[in-house]
Amino acid sequence: MIIRFLQRHREASVALIIVFLFAVLGLVDHSYLSLDTLLLVYGNSLILFVLAIGATMVMATHGLDVSVGSIMGLAAVVAGLLMNAGWGLPASIGAALLVGLLCGLFNGVLVSLLKVSAIVATLGTLGLYRGFVYLLSGGSWIEGLPENFKALTKTGSLGLSPVAWLVLVLLIVAHLGLRYTAFGRSMFAVGDNREGARLIGIRVNEVQIVAYGLNGLLAALAGVIFASQIGFIPNTAGTGMEMRAIASSVLGGVSLLGGTGTVIGAALGAYFMTSIDSVLVLLRLEAYWNDIIAGAILLVVLITDGKIREAVDRLLRYQKYRKFIDPQAAGQHGDAAKAATRPLKTALETSEAHK
Amino acid sequence: MKLHPALKRWESVLALLLIAEILLFGAINPVFLQPSMLLYATSDFIHVGITALALTLVIITGGIDLSLGSVMGLSAITLGILWVGGFDIWVAAVAALAVGTMGGIFNAVAIHLSKVNPLVITLGTGFLFGGAALVLSGLAGATGYEGISNFDPAFVNLANLEVLGLPLPFALFLALTVGFMALLHRTRFGRYVYLIGQNPRAAAYAGTPVFRTLVVAYALTSLMAALSGLILASYFGSARSDFGTTALMPAITAVVLGGTSIYGGSGTILGTALAALLVGYLQTGLQLVGVSSHVSSALSGGLLVIVVALRSLSEMGRVWFQHRRVLRNVAAE
Repeated sequence: MIIRFLQRHREASVALIIVFLFAVLGLVDHSYLSLDTLLLVYGNSLILFVLAIGATMVMATHGLDVSVGSIMGLAAVVAGLLMNAGWGLPASIGAALLVGLLCGLFNGVLVSLLKVSAIVATLGTLGLYRGFVYLLSGGSWIEGLPENFKALTKTGSLGLSPVAWLVLVLLIVAHLGLRYTAFGRSMFAVGDNREGARLIGIRVNEVQIVAYGLNGLLAALAGVIFASQIGFIPNTAGTGMEMRAIASSVLGGVSLLGGTGTVIGAALGAYFMTSIDSVLVLLRLEAYWNDIIAGAILLVVLITDGKIREAVDRLLRYQKYRKFIDPQAAGQHGDAAKAATRPLKTALETSEAHK
Repeated sequence: MKLHPALKRWESVLALLLIAEILLFGAINPVFLQPSMLLYATSDFIHVGITALALTLVIITGGIDLSLGSVMGLSAITLGILWVGGFDIWVAAVAALAVGTMGGIFNAVAIHLSKVNPLVITLGTGFLFGGAALVLSGLAGATGYEGISNFDPAFVNLANLEVLGLPLPFALFLALTVGFMALLHRTRFGRYVYLIGQNPRAAAYAGTPVFRTLVVAYALTSLMAALSGLILASYFGSARSDFGTTALMPAITAVVLGGTSIYGGSGTILGTALAALLVGYLQTGLQLVGVSSHVSSALSGGLLVIVVALRSLSEMGRVWFQHRRVLRNVAAE
């Protein structure tokens, strides 16, 4: 029963791991188990949350975007340069988001219209957009960002910063939007069966392009949050974030083969990836343990998940063919059925053995 | 217009592009055409090429290895730790290669056991191996930027040795190119690699040792990544855990630009080798002309996008012409 439940709700297994992680933390020192710690980790994972929403959308369409780190950097640099040139806060953030949207749309056009495989196309744009970062910034850090921009991520009402509230709203909207709107469902349909989706009248190319576009927009938002959080913009802003975003989504049950996954799952995955960081600091372990622990847990979750899925499949297949293998279960059919199905049984067994 | 079949191959296009590129940069700055310049410039990027050769095998089987960058760092750090621990440098080097190979076997076993997409598994093992490298260097008290240095001079000189007038890393690259060409195009193992990439199910039903082939392919990739880590350690004279972080994407770029299908089933070693040189010389050439290294990385990203998009477009155009011809013939009848 529990295995079935975990299989149905991949989010639950990540939630369990998070609870376990905090339980370990609680065993070491009770005082850490507080709302403050939870909010601290939440505040640290804002960027990954935003990226994970985008990754979920793209992965739902059976795509992949490894260029988000560069889009993040590019958007941050655009926002920073415009702000330092005297533009207002909304105008410069808007321009940064627009740049992100355009970058994402370009990825989408490459993947859907030009039929370049997603990983290759975004691998190319990863280098391309990072180059734009250096071209725009001239290779130097951007400093001296206005105070009201940094204030966006300073703690405000109820222990959360304005941006933290925005991200919370975004998570809820994205989760509901992907699950309950026609457009959200069509992304999953395209990822599950592209040709089938086309046949039932979904504009496959448009859905794909929009998914990549929104992903770019969200990556740009992540870049703006990053700039606001650390207060300056290094050229390397966002490097390596794409792998963390993909890992978060995968951990939360989003399949790279498209068609399944939820935003909540991906967000829990992102929360977990960040909580390792913060928990290690609280446990006074050196920060360099972070990646090895994240990697080990990711692998354990993936391999167990694969094993469970295999076991469930085998169980389903067994129940489907049980009446042929075991005549008693089929009731009165008796000997005739038994004699007739003998070859089938051996055939099934050999095919099992081959697997 | 009849072209010789050999000229229609993608490798010939790459070779022509490579020559055109070298001549172009030579025209802008004649220093670029000096043989010693051309040969020694390879030391900056040849580790990417060496790894890409083996990665070609994995990508042809329909898989991918995102952990190779981490393996480079891990092997370099293993070398450093053992050297600091008082082992002979050559023993340490062999151990580092062994650690790398184990990583590859681990990848293949994990992929086989879980039946999960290789992309995801190697993403996880990438974190794992990279994390292991960080932990090892952390435990040894090596700081991030300096790493572990003061190696045996004999080891540090390796990267500057000359073999038949070629720098050792480049000579190694050429030898490995020939070796991998023989392995992929002339052995039963090589045919298995293509078959698995074309249709894994058919391969399994045909009695192909799928698991064994995958183990060898992933182990070779990790071994080459570990070797590249050692070459970097020798070239820079120090070992750092973050050696390979920038090598992963260029390696995949070289394989894909070399004509290997990312979906598996087709590709050649020669294509990968030429593409690795093409991208490498593009970076060096641009730096020589005075373009900063960051912009040149943007240009190689742009090159990848343009080349792949053009290939995809020409394929779509070919299919369209074929359809039109068939339709015309039908209409004529």
